Formats: sequence, structure tokens, C-alpha cells
Amino acid sequence: MTLTGMKKHVGVLEQAGLVSTEKVGRVRTCKLGLRGLEEEAAWIERYRQLWAARFDELDIVVEELKRKEKSNGRKKTK
Amino acid sequence: MDVRRQSEATPTTNRTVVERKSEREVVVTRTVNAPAHVVFEAWTKAELFRRWWTPKSYGLTLLSCDMDVRVGGQYRLVFRHEDSSMEFFGTYLEVIPHSRLVWTNEEGDYGQTVTTVTFDENAGKTLLVVHDRYPSKEALDSGSTDAMPEALRQLDELLASLGSSTEKT
Repeated sequence: MTLTGMKKHVGVLEQAGLVSTEKVGRVRTCKLGLRGLEEEAAWIERYRQLWAARFDELDIVVEELKRKEKSNGRKKTK
Repeated sequence: MDVRRQSEATPTTNRTVVERKSEREVVVTRTVNAPAHVVFEAWTKAELFRRWWTPKSYGLTLLSCDMDVRVGGQYRLVFRHEDSSMEFFGTYLEVIPHSRLVWTNEEGDYGQTVTTVTFDENAGKTLLVVHDRYPSKEALDSGSTDAMPEALRQLDELLASLGSSTEKT
């Protein structure tokens, strides 16, 4: 990876709050922004929980549809 | 013999996986134990869709659910939570029976989010892939901190308030 590429990469991470950087003299030090990562993980987890709950309800609806289809004697086989 | 008291309707629970694919995209995958035409029906008939889209455990009341599932058709969901109500609405961009649905989410502050759902049947089961593409990097980036798109933020607040009894942050 080129230095320019690296800078760009770190810049994106920094913008997303995943790392923080500090420049001392010629050296720029990066630190993992743990907070950003935790927030990101928490956000993803909430997203996942919503969808998992949704899909659990979807399962119930779908099972009902399957039963109905069966008792209708598979009117359509395609 | 295995006797299930809770619900015989869910013999096995499949895993829900959420991945952030890029700065603008989130993808949710889940297998459903039914053929694609059955799953598709549950996504496209309002009277079925409304039964599962708002999980009971989230304490939301779905006041109305209108879906005109065809290309260019609109949908509108109205929810009530305590004193306030909120609306989710948009337009269907693609409708391919038993296979693919694409719609816009037009209620957000940041512009349209586009949701693509694919139904991929294999051996009687259907792999669902729900792909959300946000209008900008900022719209989703901000989603991981404070300022998510309006709809998600409201949802998020809601989840936080509902979840606060069980966990504290």
C-alpha cells in the first residue's frame, strides 16, 4: 500500500470515528477509537435483533401458509 | 417424543446475519424453511406482511398497512407508539414474483434508501437477502453514531426505550 493510499485509508477510518490520530513532529500515531467500534457493534446488533424478531414472526406466518397450501391439496404444482 | 408447548410453528430457528457491506450498505440474510413462492406471498400481501413486519415484542401498533405491490406502486405503513405516530412509505421499483423486490424508503431526512430483497430457493428452503442502500455515506455513517436517517433513528429510540428495562448503556 502506498503512503497516499494509507493516508486515505486512515482518513476514512478517522471520519467514521473508528480511529483517532495524533501528529507529533513527523510521526502520526493512530489509535483505535474503541468507542466508535463499540457504537458500530451496538448499532449492528440492534439492527440484527430487529430483523431476527421480524423473521421469527415471519416463520409463523409462513408455516401457516404452508399448512394451508397442503390442506388445499396443492392446487398448483409448478 | 418432542412436545413443544410454545409454538409448533417454529421447529428450528435459522440465524439472522447482519453485515455492513460498505459505507452505504447493510445486508441482512436469513433462511426461511419454505419455498420462495410462500415466502414471497408473506412479503407482498399486506394482510400477511403486517403480521410479521412489526415484531410483537417491540410494542408498536401498526395502524395501517397499504401495499400496492407492482412496479411504480406505493406502500405506506403507519405506526403508533404511545402518543406519537410515524409513517414509513415509498415506491416499488422492481417486482419479480417469487424472486426479487426492490422498493424505496422515502421517509428519511437524508434522501431515499433503497431496499432490495431477493428470494433464493434451494431444496425447499429460501435464502432471504435484504440489502439496504443508503443515499449517502453520511446517512449510514451517522447511523453508527447519533444522527441516523429519521426512520431508523425513531426506531432506534424506540428500541432503546423498550430495551432500557433489560439493559443499561
